[in-house]
Amino acid sequence: MKPAAFEYHAPESVDDAVGLLSGHEDAKVLAGGQSLVPMMSFRLARPAGIVDINGISDLDYIRCEDGVVRIGATARQSALEESGEVTGCAPLLAEATGHVGHRAIRNRGTLAGSLAHNDPASEYPAVLMALGASVTAVSSGGSRVLSVEDLAGGHFLSTALGSDELITEVSVPAQSGGHGFAEFSRRHGDFAVAGVAAVVSMNGSGVESASIAAFGGTSPARLDEAETALVGSDGGSSAVAEAAARAASQFPATDDIHGSADYRRALIDVLTRQALQQAIAGAQEV
Amino acid sequence: MTTTEWIGARAPRREDPALIRGRGRYVADINLPGTLHMAILRSPMGHASINSIDASEARTMDGVHMVITPDDIPDHITQFPVVWRLPGQKDSGIPALAEGKVRYVGEPVAAVVADSRYAAEDALDAIDVDYETLDPVTDPEAALEEGAPVINEDWGDNVAIHHVFAGYNALGECHYDAEAFDNAEVTVRGRLKIGRHSGIPLETRGIVADWDEIHGRLTVHSESQVAHLFRTELAASLGLPETAVRVLTPNMGGGFGNKWDRYPEDLLVSIASMELGRPVKWIADRREGLMSTVHGRAQVQEWEMALQSDGTILGLRGKVINDLGAHLHSVGIGPAWVTGAAAPNQYKIANYYCNVIAAATNKTPASTFRGFGGPEGIFGAERMMDKAAKRLGMDPAEIRRKNMIQPDQFPWFNAAGAVYDSGNFPACLEKALEAADYDRVRAEQKELREQGVYRGIGISSYIHVSGFGPSPILGYLSYYTGGYEGSTVKVDPNGKATVYTGMIPMGQGTETTLAQVAAHHLGIDMADVRVVWGDTDQTPYTGFGSAGSRSNVAAVAVIRAVEEIKAKAVRIGAGMLEADAEDLEYADGMVSVKGAEEMRSVSLAQVAQQAYWAHALPEGDQPFLEATYVYDPPNFTTASGCHVVVLDVDTNTGRITFRNYVIVDDCGPVINPLLVEGQIHGGVAQALGGALLEEFVYDDEGQLLTTSFMDYLLPSFTDVPDMEIHHVVTPSPHTDGGFKGMGEAGTFPPGAAVANAVTDALSHLGVEADELPITPSRLWSLIQEATR
Repeated sequence: MKPAAFEYHAPESVDDAVGLLSGHEDAKVLAGGQSLVPMMSFRLARPAGIVDINGISDLDYIRCEDGVVRIGATARQSALEESGEVTGCAPLLAEATGHVGHRAIRNRGTLAGSLAHNDPASEYPAVLMALGASVTAVSSGGSRVLSVEDLAGGHFLSTALGSDELITEVSVPAQSGGHGFAEFSRRHGDFAVAGVAAVVSMNGSGVESASIAAFGGTSPARLDEAETALVGSDGGSSAVAEAAARAASQFPATDDIHGSADYRRALIDVLTRQALQQAIAGAQEV
Repeated sequence: MTTTEWIGARAPRREDPALIRGRGRYVADINLPGTLHMAILRSPMGHASINSIDASEARTMDGVHMVITPDDIPDHITQFPVVWRLPGQKDSGIPALAEGKVRYVGEPVAAVVADSRYAAEDALDAIDVDYETLDPVTDPEAALEEGAPVINEDWGDNVAIHHVFAGYNALGECHYDAEAFDNAEVTVRGRLKIGRHSGIPLETRGIVADWDEIHGRLTVHSESQVAHLFRTELAASLGLPETAVRVLTPNMGGGFGNKWDRYPEDLLVSIASMELGRPVKWIADRREGLMSTVHGRAQVQEWEMALQSDGTILGLRGKVINDLGAHLHSVGIGPAWVTGAAAPNQYKIANYYCNVIAAATNKTPASTFRGFGGPEGIFGAERMMDKAAKRLGMDPAEIRRKNMIQPDQFPWFNAAGAVYDSGNFPACLEKALEAADYDRVRAEQKELREQGVYRGIGISSYIHVSGFGPSPILGYLSYYTGGYEGSTVKVDPNGKATVYTGMIPMGQGTETTLAQVAAHHLGIDMADVRVVWGDTDQTPYTGFGSAGSRSNVAAVAVIRAVEEIKAKAVRIGAGMLEADAEDLEYADGMVSVKGAEEMRSVSLAQVAQQAYWAHALPEGDQPFLEATYVYDPPNFTTASGCHVVVLDVDTNTGRITFRNYVIVDDCGPVINPLLVEGQIHGGVAQALGGALLEEFVYDDEGQLLTTSFMDYLLPSFTDVPDMEIHHVVTPSPHTDGGFKGMGEAGTFPPGAAVANAVTDALSHLGVEADELPITPSRLWSLIQEATR
C-alpha cells in the first residue's frame, strides 16, 4: 500500500500554486490529505504531481466580516470547532463539524479539501448548501466565485472545478434562523449512511424560509420539494411530516453494503423530521 | 509486595510498561542490515484460470532483485499441510502461489523482491497476468448443488467434508432417534446464518526471513502463535532439517487465532532469502490483511428441536454448512466440527444429530478464529432455546432451568462425544438474572412498549471446552500434533527464577500469568521471576499453543516443574541443615525444619548456591536447580457461564442501544482477576463486532467489497457497552489449581444474547433475528417485512 511515484511541489504563494496546477495536466492539490493520501496509497489515485498548499501561510484563517464567515483553504476542521466566529455566525457548521471523522482526522482535514473531494457521504457539501455558502476558485487566468450548490451538487467524488483551479476560500453567510442537523452512521465518526442539514426561519405566521440539504446518496442534494412543503406552513408536526416525506422521495438514494436505497430513504424521512424539529425550535427562540 | 500469595492477585500486566510507551518490538520494527522488501501480486478475481504470467518487464526494473512466479519456485518446495485431517476430509495444502488458477480475491499469484516496498509495488504493476474468467461460486449452499462450478478439480465437487454426529457418547447413553422427532408434542425449527468475519489483529501479518549460508541456518522473525509447529512445517516445506530453522517471535499486536495458521508469504519470503542470501521482509498492508488472512465463522445452520409441552427437550438435530472459502487451511474443517460438538451446550440432550458440511466457495479460506466454532454452536443452541420458549409460551430463563445439566451430574458426556469435567450451570444463570434484575426489567419492558420504547432482554448460556488438549484424544480426532505444554524453570545461584515457555504471548498477559504461578509456588516475589518466550532455540516445543490452554496446561507445566525444584531444594537443604529430608518443608522461599522451636531454615538462594557450587550435593543429584515438566492434560476443562443483555431497538432506523450487559463467568479459580476481566471485555467486544458490525461482503462475482476499515467495521469503544462481570468458581477436578481456559469464552455468548434480545424487543412484530451481523439496514428490512 505505497503510492506510485509522483512529483512533489510546495509552493509558498497562491500564484505559484495555480501556476503549477496550470502547468500540470495531472496534478492534485494536497491540503489535509485525509482522503487523497489513502487513495494514493491504494493506488486508486495516481496523480503525476502533488501541489502541497500547506506552506501558503496566508490561507490559514477564519474571519467573520460583514456578516460573512470566511474560511481559508488550509484552516483545519478542528479550528472550525473552536472558532467563536463559526459558532457565533454559522452554528450549523460548527455542529456538523463534530460529526466529521474523529478529532485526529479533523486536526489535519480542511473544509475546502472536503468540498473539493466531494464524497457524497460527507457532511460539509450538504451543510454548506443548506447555509448558502460559496467558494472562491483561483486559476492562473483569474478567480471566480461559485456557490457550493453549483460546485458540488449533482457531482459524485468530483466537482465543477477545473483541474487548474484551487479553492482558496469558503465563504458562509451568517446563518439566519434556527438550524437542525441529523445523521445516521454505523459508528461514531464514520461517513454517514444518510444525513440532513436544515436552516429554517420563522415569522409571526409560520415558516418564512427553509433550506434543506441531504447527504449519503449519489451526490449532496438540496431538497427543494421539502422546502416548498414547509415554507408558509405553521411548522407543526404534520407540515414537518409532509416535508420529510418529500425529502425522502426527492433524495438521490443509492445502494451499498451499509444500506439499501429504500433504507436510506426511510432514514432521510426520520432524519429530516429530527433536523426540522431542531431547526424550528431554534428559529422560534430567535 | 512481600506476599507470596500471587495466585488470585490483581497483578498489573508486566507487559504494559513497554507496550504502552511504544517500546514494544514487532516484526515490522525488525530492520536487519541489507533487508530487501517483498510485495505480493494478488488475484483481482474470485475464480479464473491463469493462461500466462509475463514478468519479463518487472524483472528488469530498477531496484528489483527477484520476481517469483510459480515457475520460479524450486521443485523441492512443498505446500504447507493441513494439521487436522478428519476421516473423509478432502486433502489440500496451502500453496505458495496459485497453481494454474486463482480461487479467491487476494490469492497470491506472484511476488517481487526489491530494494524498497515502493519499488516492489511498482514492479507488481508491470507483471502481466492473462486470466480467463471462470464461473464463481460464492454461496455455500449453491456450491453444494449438482452442476456447481468445481473450485478444486481434484476434489470432484465442492464438499470438503460431510461429517455426521449421530448421538454418541462414551457411556453409550446417547443415540439418534428420528421417531422421537416425529412423535414429539412440539417441534421447533430454525434457520440461522452467521456472517463471515475474523479476528483482525491490529498488527497485520508479517515476516522477516534471514538465510545464513555459511551456517546453513534460516532465522525467521514471525508473529506465528505457534512458533515450534511453524518451525516444523516451514523446515519440511523448504526441505531443510528442522535444526536449520530458528523462529523468533517478538511482541504480537493481537493474534486471535488468525496467526496460528501458516501462510503462502511465509514460504515466499523464505525462498527469496535463501535464493538472494539477504534478509527479506514482508508486512501485510491492511488491504492484504483483510483479503488474505484467514476469515472465520461463516455458517448456515438449520436446526429442529423436539420437546414435550412442558419444555423438556427430547432431541436436537440439524445441519451446519460451513462457508469454507477456496480451500482447506491449516486447521481443515476443525471449527465446523467443533460447532457440531458444542451445540448441545448446557442441556441434557441425549438424542442428537448434526450433519456438518464444509463447502468450498470462491472466498478467502476460513480457518482459525478465537472460539473456533464454539461461538457458532452456542449461537445455534441458544437461538433454538429462545424459539422453543416462545413457541411454548415459557420464559426463556425457565426453559433453560428445566433442561440444564445439574452440578451433581459431572462428568457429563454430551451427545456429540465431548466430556464436560465440571460446572454449575444453574448457579451461573441465576446469578446473571439476579445481577440484571431480570424480573424488574421484564416488568418494565411491558410499560415501555406502551410508550413506544422497544426493550429486549437476551440470555445466552455457554460452555467453552478448553485446555487443548490430551494428546491421545487429539490423535483420535486425527489431529497430527500433540496438545501438551512444556516448561523449564531454572533457579539461578541468587535464588531468582526464569521460566521458559513455548507459549507465544499475543496480548493475554501470558508473561504475567506464568510469573504469578511460578512466584506463588516458589514462594518468592513475582519481580524475581523472569519469563522467556519467543525463541524456538531456547523454549520447549509446543505443537498446539492455543485454545484456552495457557492457564490450565502451560501453567500446570510450570507448577509441576516448580514442584520438582522444591523437592530438590528440600534434599539439598537437608544436608545444609543436617536434618532428614522428611523433617523439612518448603514454604515462602525457605526450606525449614518442620515444627522446630527455634527457626532452622535455609533460603532458596542459599540452596541454589549449594546447587550450583556443588560442593556437597546429595547422592544422585546433579548440579543446578532446574526442572522441565511436560504436561499432557488427562482431559479438557469446561468453562461456562451466562450473559444477559438488555437493549432497545429503534424501529425507525434499526439502531440498537445497549442498556445493560451482565456476565457471569466460571473459569474455575482465577489466577489474575485483572487479566480475566480484560480477556472477557475483549472477547465480548470482538463478538459484538461479529453480532452487529463486522462482515466480509462478497458480490456475486466473488469480489471482496470490504477491503478497508471504512467498510469492514470493527467495534470502537463507543460501540461496546459497559459490562458487569461476576464469577462462579467451580474448580476443574483434574488440573493443578483447578484452572480452566478463559481467553476465548467472551466470544461465545454475545451473538445469541444480542439476537435473543432483539427478537424479544420485537416480539410484538414477530421479528426473528436469525442472521448475524444484525446491521441496522438488515434489521430495518426485517421490521418492514413484519409490518407490511
